[in-house]
Amino acid sequence: MQSLQTKLGTGLLLSLIIAFSALWLLVSINVQYLAEEYIASRLKHDAETILSNVNFDKKNHISIDTMRIGLVYNQPFSGHYFIISTDNQTITSRSLWDQKLNHQKVNTGEQLQSLQPGPEQQPLLLVSAGYKKQGQQLTISVAEDLNPINENISQFKYWFAAMAIGMLLTLVMFQIFILRKSLIPLIKIQHELKSLQQGQLEKLSTDAPSELHPLINEVNHLLEVMQQRLLRSRNSLGDLAHAIKKPLTVIKQLTDKNDIPDTSKYTLIKQADDIYQITERILKRARLAGHSHSGTLFSFTDDLSALIKTLEMMHTENALKLTSHIPDNIICPVDREDMMELLGNLLDNAYKWATQKIKLSVNTNSDLHICIEDDGPGAEHKQINELSKRGVRLDEKVQGHGFGLAIAADIITDYNGSINFKQSDELGGFRVDITLPLHQ
Amino acid sequence: MRLLLAEDDDDLVSTLKKDLQTAGYAVDVANNGIDAEYLGSEMIYDVAVLDLGLPQRNGIDVLKNWRASNNHLPVIVLTARNAWHERVDGFKAGADDYLGKPFHVEELLARITALLHRSSQQPGGTLNVAGLSLDEEKQTVTTEDNDTHKLTGIEYRLLRYFLLNPERVLSKSKLTEHIYDFDSEKDSNVIEVYVRHLRQILGKDRIETRRGQGYVFRDSN
Repeated sequence: MQSLQTKLGTGLLLSLIIAFSALWLLVSINVQYLAEEYIASRLKHDAETILSNVNFDKKNHISIDTMRIGLVYNQPFSGHYFIISTDNQTITSRSLWDQKLNHQKVNTGEQLQSLQPGPEQQPLLLVSAGYKKQGQQLTISVAEDLNPINENISQFKYWFAAMAIGMLLTLVMFQIFILRKSLIPLIKIQHELKSLQQGQLEKLSTDAPSELHPLINEVNHLLEVMQQRLLRSRNSLGDLAHAIKKPLTVIKQLTDKNDIPDTSKYTLIKQADDIYQITERILKRARLAGHSHSGTLFSFTDDLSALIKTLEMMHTENALKLTSHIPDNIICPVDREDMMELLGNLLDNAYKWATQKIKLSVNTNSDLHICIEDDGPGAEHKQINELSKRGVRLDEKVQGHGFGLAIAADIITDYNGSINFKQSDELGGFRVDITLPLHQ
Repeated sequence: MRLLLAEDDDDLVSTLKKDLQTAGYAVDVANNGIDAEYLGSEMIYDVAVLDLGLPQRNGIDVLKNWRASNNHLPVIVLTARNAWHERVDGFKAGADDYLGKPFHVEELLARITALLHRSSQQPGGTLNVAGLSLDEEKQTVTTEDNDTHKLTGIEYRLLRYFLLNPERVLSKSKLTEHIYDFDSEKDSNVIEVYVRHLRQILGKDRIETRRGQGYVFRDSN
C-alpha cells in the first residue's frame, strides 16, 4: 500500500491546486466584469455630455460643439469615439476618421452595450443610448478602446497568479513540514519494531500520540504474553526433562551392574536409551523459540566465547586448537538458547572427532553462513550422501555425529535455514555448512 | 580422596555412593542445597559432584556461593538439564566439568580422576609420580623396579593422596580428613600403620616423617 505521507501529501497538494485555480479564475472574471461596468458607466456620462452639446437647427440638422466634449474625440484613433445618429443623419467623432462602427438605433430611454473590433484592431466597448431632444429622436453611441484597461487587467492577473503560486508553494512546504512532524511517532515505531525484531528492544515505548496507544499497548501485551508463554513452557519442559532423566539415570546405574541376566539387560539398556534419545530430541525441539522475537538474541562476541570456553573445559583430554573467523558486529537472527544448542551440538561433534584443529568461520551477505570443519576421520562419502539425501534422522548415526546433528537439523528447519555436510577440503575431516536467512 | 556427593535422589545416591567408595573415595552425601553448600565450605573435600536440581537451594547458587567465597573446590556438575545454554551457565558459575544425566558410572569416575589430576596439575591417564605408577582402576602401584603391588582400600587412598600432593607437609589429621568420610571411625594412629605399610612397598625414603608436623612425600630420590 502507498505510504501515508505520499497519500496525505498528494491529497493536500491536489486540493490546494484546485482551490487556488478556482480562486484565480473567479477573481479574473470578476475583475474583467467590474472594469467593463465601470467603463460603461463612464461612457454613459460621456454620452450625456455629448447630448447636452447637441443642437438641432431649423432643418433638423445636428450641430455639435466639439470643443466642449473633450479633445480625445478630435484626435484620430485616440480610442474614444462617438456616433450620433438620427433618422436621416449620422455624425461621427473626428477621432473615428474614415472608419465605421456597427451601431444600432436604440429607442428613447433604452441602452445597449456591446463589444466589437474597432480601428487599428482596438477592442471597443460600445454603449448606445436613445434620447429625445428638441422633439427629435437620436441615438448616441460612445465607444472606448479596452486595450489600456485590458493591459492593466492582465498585469493584475499575472501578479495574482504569481502570488497564488508563491502562496501555494509556501503552504505545500508548510504542509510537508506538518506532515513530517506528525508522522515522526510512526517512523519512531517503525525503527522500534526493527530493533524489536533484532532483539535490541523488549517492548515498544509508550511515548506516542494517543491514537497510537491502543496499537502499542496491544503489541506490548502480545510480546509479554509470548515471552511468558515461552518462559513457562521452557521451564516446564526443563522440569519434565529433569523428572524423566532421574529414573533413567537409576536404570542406567542398575544396568551397569552384573546382577541382571544379559538377555533382559540389553533390552533394558536399549529401551532406556531410546526413551532418553526420543525425550531429549522432542523436548529440545519443543524448547525452540523459533523466530518469535521474544527472547534475547545470540551474540557472537559474548555468547560464542562462553560456549567455546565451556567446550574447552569439557574436552581437556586432547589439546585442540580452534580457530575462528568472525567479522565484527554480526547480527545473529537466532534466539540465544537456540543458537547455543545449534553451535554447541555441532562444535561438540567437532571437538569429539578432531585430532588437532577445528575451524569455525562465519560470514554474512543476505544470509548468515556458518561453517565448522575438523581434521578428524570425517564421514564416508556414502554416509554424507545418505545424510544429505534423506535429512538427518534420529536412528542414523554417522560416527556418533547422529544425535547432535538431528537436533541441529531441527533448529535449522525451524529457522527456514539449510544444513549441508561434506568432506572438508582444508582440514580433511567433517565439514558442516549452515545457512540461516537474516530476515524472516 | 574425600568426595562430596550433592544429590537428592535416594536410589541414585545408594548406587552411586557404593560405586564411588569401591573406586576409593571417602563419600559424604548432602541431599539438599543448604547442606551441600555448608559441607563444601568445610575445605576437607578434594572434589564435589553437584546435582543442579537440589531442593532448598539450587545447585548453580551453591556453586556461585562457593566461588564467591574463594572456594576452589573442583566441581563436577551432574544434571538432567543439559541444554547447551545451561551448560554454559554452569561453567560461568564456576563448574570444572559437566555430566548430563543419564550417565555411566565409568564416565563419572573417569571424569573425577581427570579432574583430580588436572587440579593437582598431573597429566591425564595413569597417575605417574617419581617413577611410581598408580593404576586407579585396579588399585595397584608399580614401583621403579617394575614390581606391581596390590593395595588395600585405605592404602590406595593414602598413596593417591600422597601422589597428588607431593613435597607437601601433610598432617595426620589432614590425611584422616581426606581418607575417611563422616561415617567412618577415625583414629589418627591408624595412619601410622598405613604409612608403615606403604614404606614397606615403596622403600623407606619415600615418605619422610616430620616430627610434630606430619609426613612429606618425596618425589625425587
